[in-house]
Amino acid sequence: MNYVDLTNASRTLDYSDCTRTVRIALICDSTAQYMEPLFKTLLCQGGIRADVYASAYGTAELEVLNPTSGLYAFEPDVVVLANSVLALRDRYYTFVGDRARFVADQTEIMGSLWTALRAHTNAAIIQTNYIVPNEQLFGSYDDRVGVSFTWAVAQLNHGIAEGVRRRNDIYLCDIDHTAAYHGRKHWLDEKMWLLAKTFCAFEYLPHAVKSVVDIILSLNGKSVKCVVLDLDNTLWGGIIGDDGLEGIRLGHLCDGEAFVRFQHFLRALRQRGILLAVCSKNDPETARLPFRHHPEMVLKEDDITVFLANWVSKAENIRHIADILRIGLGAMVFIDDNPFERGVVRDALPEVIVPELPEDPADYVRCLAELNLFETTSYSALDAGRADLYRIEAQRQLAQRSFANPEDHLKSLEMKIICQRFEAFHLPRIVQLLQRSNQFNVLTRRFNQAQCETFMHDTANSLPVYLSLRDKYGDHGIIGVIIGRVDDQILSIEEWVMSCRVLARGVEQFAMNFVVAEARARGVESIRARYVPTARNGMVKNFFGDMGFRRTNESVEGVIDWELETSAYQPGIHFISVDAGDALHAVR
Amino acid sequence: MQSADIKPNLSAVFRQVFSQPSLDIQDDMTAADVPGWDSLTHVTLVFAIEQRFGVKFSTREVMVLKTVGDLVRLIERKTQS
Repeated sequence: MNYVDLTNASRTLDYSDCTRTVRIALICDSTAQYMEPLFKTLLCQGGIRADVYASAYGTAELEVLNPTSGLYAFEPDVVVLANSVLALRDRYYTFVGDRARFVADQTEIMGSLWTALRAHTNAAIIQTNYIVPNEQLFGSYDDRVGVSFTWAVAQLNHGIAEGVRRRNDIYLCDIDHTAAYHGRKHWLDEKMWLLAKTFCAFEYLPHAVKSVVDIILSLNGKSVKCVVLDLDNTLWGGIIGDDGLEGIRLGHLCDGEAFVRFQHFLRALRQRGILLAVCSKNDPETARLPFRHHPEMVLKEDDITVFLANWVSKAENIRHIADILRIGLGAMVFIDDNPFERGVVRDALPEVIVPELPEDPADYVRCLAELNLFETTSYSALDAGRADLYRIEAQRQLAQRSFANPEDHLKSLEMKIICQRFEAFHLPRIVQLLQRSNQFNVLTRRFNQAQCETFMHDTANSLPVYLSLRDKYGDHGIIGVIIGRVDDQILSIEEWVMSCRVLARGVEQFAMNFVVAEARARGVESIRARYVPTARNGMVKNFFGDMGFRRTNESVEGVIDWELETSAYQPGIHFISVDAGDALHAVR
Repeated sequence: MQSADIKPNLSAVFRQVFSQPSLDIQDDMTAADVPGWDSLTHVTLVFAIEQRFGVKFSTREVMVLKTVGDLVRLIERKTQS
């Protein structure tokens, strides 16, 4: 939101994605020319082409009162009345008479301008309030005396708000709130006012215009209807699949209060009529655990209109949610702590609003509130009940649909893998993955550092391999560990662990192709594997079966033995290339 | 900051504000020499310079500026104090 950049951008705007043109008349007693380009750029970013009419300096009231003025000839869709508190100040100090009289006069003038506007145009009218300046005469005692400029402006703002409430056809833009948030101390720039009559400091001019633009966007149906939420590290700290119900940070554990607060804000949005959806890479049952059983969880399953927990790409899931709810992608905002997922969604679905989430969950609410995504120009009891109506419809539709093929998406990721024998340098991360992974972990044997070192040095019989993945979004580091043992033409899988973050992207297929190729190169005819069930690894129960293994035994405890003839293996399809040229040979 | 360090930075600000990627500044340049440098953009220019160099000019300092050379000297003085 840099003033110069936004202004320059206004000269070369591409309107091809704009769905409509809105004619905006800007009536102000500061220099409108500084704001005009900002309106154009910011509205274009919101999908609206803006034609802007700016009143000449000092002619604001005349334009409104004269039915044959340029303002009415322009036939505006929106009239923005944005008066500067610094212009008001000149009038205040030269006003002769009671200070309360000044406030009443100004309120009356504003009312008569609204009436005149309404008489000559059907345009939507947006009235900004005044920035409350720091010109107290008695400090906090000001309010008792009622003479200072600060006091007068505060009174006037009350008058504007009241007038707007009474009339119902004027939209108030609470620009004083915006200024207060950014800091009134620096918002007004006295030098720039003297030099060029700028509405506020250049630095904040984009924020000032944006608070008006948000209302115009909302008037044109460009509002957020649905918040799509990730779960792990977004609604709670940690990973439910790995850390479990007791391990996630929510409530009094560590920074868990921050997540509670974020959920409270989301719940308030939901009660105001914004739909909440979940889109999480998780086992569906695991994902719902906190909603059902965590005592500190604020959001309940009933608060979530569409709940998607699976291993499909988030872009696919969000498109799916939009279809179910029958809302546009532009009406959705996607909240995810993971920069990779944000990148995927931004790339695949540019219409979806994807805010950069701060690292610290304590700042989540501030980040979301600051974006002012939930601007509206109307509100009724119907809005509040909307989320429930949608939810019923969504459940019906969810039962019927299935997903499109994500192949194109996978290709676009440009994934590259390093697949190598253990190296001392990487052992700490390898051991960490073996210790921490709960979901994609076929045996859960938790080999330690010393054991891993033994595998590493045993080149004759051990095949300990790690996988490291990168894609166009960045480096994921080590995301998989496979430990094999070769004896008498048989390769046994001693452990197979992968990070859930990268599942369903073809990494499993790549890895299995690799293992089989390794086996063949060593003259191995048969690969044996075993699945040992735990409370959390249900997702890999049939992993070897999916990869073409034959089930040879299943115990009453659920332990399954698998076998694959290497000659019968059909390579799995993936879209991953090998990172380094000699990586494959390095394993042996 | 010395004049030699100021000029490339100042040049960049001019290019940005006036959207002229090949604009070169000279000491004796005035508003008349740069297309688009009018009373409106003069103030934008001041804002952009203040941001870039982390300085604040007084109202009077801005008002008496005539040439690019004036600007360079003013920035020099401001960045030294």
